[in-house]
Amino acid sequence: METLSLSLTDNRKAVKKRLPAEDILTFSFESLDGVECVLVYADGMVNKHLLGELVARPLQAVALPDGESRKDVVATTCRFPEIKELTRLDECEKEVLDGNALLLVDGISTAFSFGAKLLPVRSVTEPPTDVAVKGPREGFIEDVKTNMALVRKRLKSPDLRLQVSRIGRRSDTAVCLCYLEGIVNEDVKKTVEERLQKVDVDILPDSSYVAALISERKHSVFRSVGTTERPDVFAAKLAEGRVGVLVDGSPIALTLPFAQVEDFQSNEDYYVSPFMATIFRLLRLFSVMIALLAPALYVCSQLFKIQLLPLALTLTIAKSAKDIPLSPSMEMFLVLFVLEVLKEASIRMPKYVGMSLSVVGALVLGEAAVSAGFLSTPAIIVVAFSGICLYAVPNFVETGSILRWIFLIVAGSIGPFGLTVCVALVLYYMLTADSFGMPLLAPFAPITPSDLKDALVKYELLSLSKRPKIYGSKNRTRLSLKEKKQ
Amino acid sequence: MKNSHTMSATNTKNTQINARQLSFFCALVLPVGKLLELPSLLTSYAGGDLLIAALLGSAVEFLAFLALVLFAKRRGAPIEALEARCGKPTARIFLGVYTLFLLAFSVLPLFDLERFSHAAFSDTSPTFFTFTPFLVLAGFICAKGLKGVGRSADLTPILCLFPLLLLIAMSVGQADFSRLLPVVEKPISVSAKAAWKTLPYFSSGGLLLPLMSGYSYEKGDEKKLFPAFFAGILLLLLFLATFFATFGLLGETEHFALMKIGQYFPALRFIGRVDLLLVYLVTVALFYYTALPLQLSVECFCRCFSIKNKVIPSAALCVGLYFALLFLNKYNNAIHAFFFSWLPPVFLIFSTLLPIAFLLLFGKKDGGRYEMNEKTNNHKGDEKA
Repeated sequence: METLSLSLTDNRKAVKKRLPAEDILTFSFESLDGVECVLVYADGMVNKHLLGELVARPLQAVALPDGESRKDVVATTCRFPEIKELTRLDECEKEVLDGNALLLVDGISTAFSFGAKLLPVRSVTEPPTDVAVKGPREGFIEDVKTNMALVRKRLKSPDLRLQVSRIGRRSDTAVCLCYLEGIVNEDVKKTVEERLQKVDVDILPDSSYVAALISERKHSVFRSVGTTERPDVFAAKLAEGRVGVLVDGSPIALTLPFAQVEDFQSNEDYYVSPFMATIFRLLRLFSVMIALLAPALYVCSQLFKIQLLPLALTLTIAKSAKDIPLSPSMEMFLVLFVLEVLKEASIRMPKYVGMSLSVVGALVLGEAAVSAGFLSTPAIIVVAFSGICLYAVPNFVETGSILRWIFLIVAGSIGPFGLTVCVALVLYYMLTADSFGMPLLAPFAPITPSDLKDALVKYELLSLSKRPKIYGSKNRTRLSLKEKKQ
Repeated sequence: MKNSHTMSATNTKNTQINARQLSFFCALVLPVGKLLELPSLLTSYAGGDLLIAALLGSAVEFLAFLALVLFAKRRGAPIEALEARCGKPTARIFLGVYTLFLLAFSVLPLFDLERFSHAAFSDTSPTFFTFTPFLVLAGFICAKGLKGVGRSADLTPILCLFPLLLLIAMSVGQADFSRLLPVVEKPISVSAKAAWKTLPYFSSGGLLLPLMSGYSYEKGDEKKLFPAFFAGILLLLLFLATFFATFGLLGETEHFALMKIGQYFPALRFIGRVDLLLVYLVTVALFYYTALPLQLSVECFCRCFSIKNKVIPSAALCVGLYFALLFLNKYNNAIHAFFFSWLPPVFLIFSTLLPIAFLLLFGKKDGGRYEMNEKTNNHKGDEKA
């Protein structure tokens, strides 16, 4: 463990040896009595103006005494709100790489780190993946400190704990564990802490890495960690007794434990009337069921069980599909494939060609393919509707897309029986899957009657005076009306 | 008196099934298992007195249930009690024999489901291969252990109750309930004989006995359990009544009543066979019911031979079942005849008399409780000398 010496030259050489990159700059200046000082920082990461005004200029105006008092004079002269004193070279290296500025003074074996970060971050805007008509428009950004501030802004409680740890051998990413002391489920918190401590990776570019590394079910299509980009949702989940994780460099925050029903809930449900919230939630559920099952049921009705559809509809579909060279299952497979390609391309393509390619996708692939007799209109309608329905629940899109494919393949090869078995299998898997000790299908299986008030049906706010039982919080009361003083 | 405190090393955690889940199981899952062939069989054996026959069968079933609940109230889990009182070797022998019984128990539901899958899910006559996915599902369920049994019971109101009530409601319009009159048309011996022959369908005690290892009685549970069991009987009787009111004596030929009962609803001509979608929903619960004896047999087998990993026994069982069904599905009628002619005594012994025997032999009111302790694998409480 190398420590700093009293010689500025030696310290400077040592620091430069540890940080040889060309973007690590040094700025030398002298105090009033000629004592040499050096500021070390990473170019583009610090607020140089602030350093100049609060560090360099004050030091240039004072005389630094010899001996131990030199350190104290430097500390009091630099009127910086965030100062750390460091004696080890590895600490100095870490601070510079973190975006802080390092001050080395000749004759002192202590370095000073100033929290003068000015990292290039974007401003706090509405998250693109979690849009709400009513409610706050703030979203998390890539800077963990800003995200922590956004959470603190909403939970002005001394019980809010934000535990920062560093993960990633080369990235040294800040990972912040958030919870409310006295409310959080201690077992879950402890489990998450232990798993985070066990994580040993090279770099941690995104929170999804953390989610994957601490997840219990590594090979599951169903996630066991919730995500959100909204601070209001994050704070609300902490207030329910859950644990949150913020990762530096990622705007997606993680919440644990996770229940599948959360995907069908939106923060907007709490800002509108409970009747509308209930309707919206049920609508999302039916949308997902249609999205997953419509293509498969269409194929079943064409190949295996014609009776499923009314006769008139069957004849209409038969009329549209009579000259199609492909079997219904192959046709559906092809249309679904085209939909997935279009979806992927629309995310990746540059904006300036987006419009043209959308026209190509809609008109050429859709209209022209039907006119040419490659595909039938009913198949395109079913897949298009299924695609739209799945986006009613954006957080379920990844899982839903995979399940849709599985159901389609099974329905096309085995028929309605295979589809029913597949549904039973997926359902049983979900029944037996847990997320940090909590069943994935809670509060439906096992039934927790008190929590059903805010599952698919949303009761009015005063009925939700207790925190959800499923999260195991010891302090269950969260709402009460104060009695009027007489 | 032996005091063997050590439980089998294969006891797994998360096998708890609470009173509510057991109630749903009795009220909804058990009746669903009887809705495929039982209505046509009872019509064939008892004619218009099928409700009496069903009541008699249900009464036998209730005796077993009563015995098991009383035992759970007084002493806890039966198999754990057997192990504590008679020692591990005896318990293992019992578990081995019970495994065979459960495999036998699973035959009828499996064959019924296999034929039902061909009738309800396809307009043509598919190959046997189309039934294979169920064996994959069964293998998955068996490998998971008993954790999902209780949780799947919690889903049954959605999977079973509403679709069944809707199906019954759809058929009520075409039903002539006067066909059920007079209530007792034939001598009671006819109904009793019908109940006796169809006893394999009224043998839920055989499933509940090993299932009670995952259940821990709490005060007041019987207020949930008994009404739930009666509700299940009521649901079955309602279904049978509607079935007979719809088809009369022709119901003898209407196999797989579940898919037949709602088909005459007038609106189906215009909206398609949406009743089949309801049937498919109920079928999900039927899958879990059919897999349950297999699941319990794997549990008993693993406890008997102290096997911790259930995956291999489950896979082996499903492969064996595949070949068994492949070769035996041509002899469906013979197997049914064998079950109804020769095996009712066996089902009576294992499903009804055995639980009563447990209650009479080990179920005295005083004494400790025998329950699965997840942490220590020991039984709670000691026997009074």
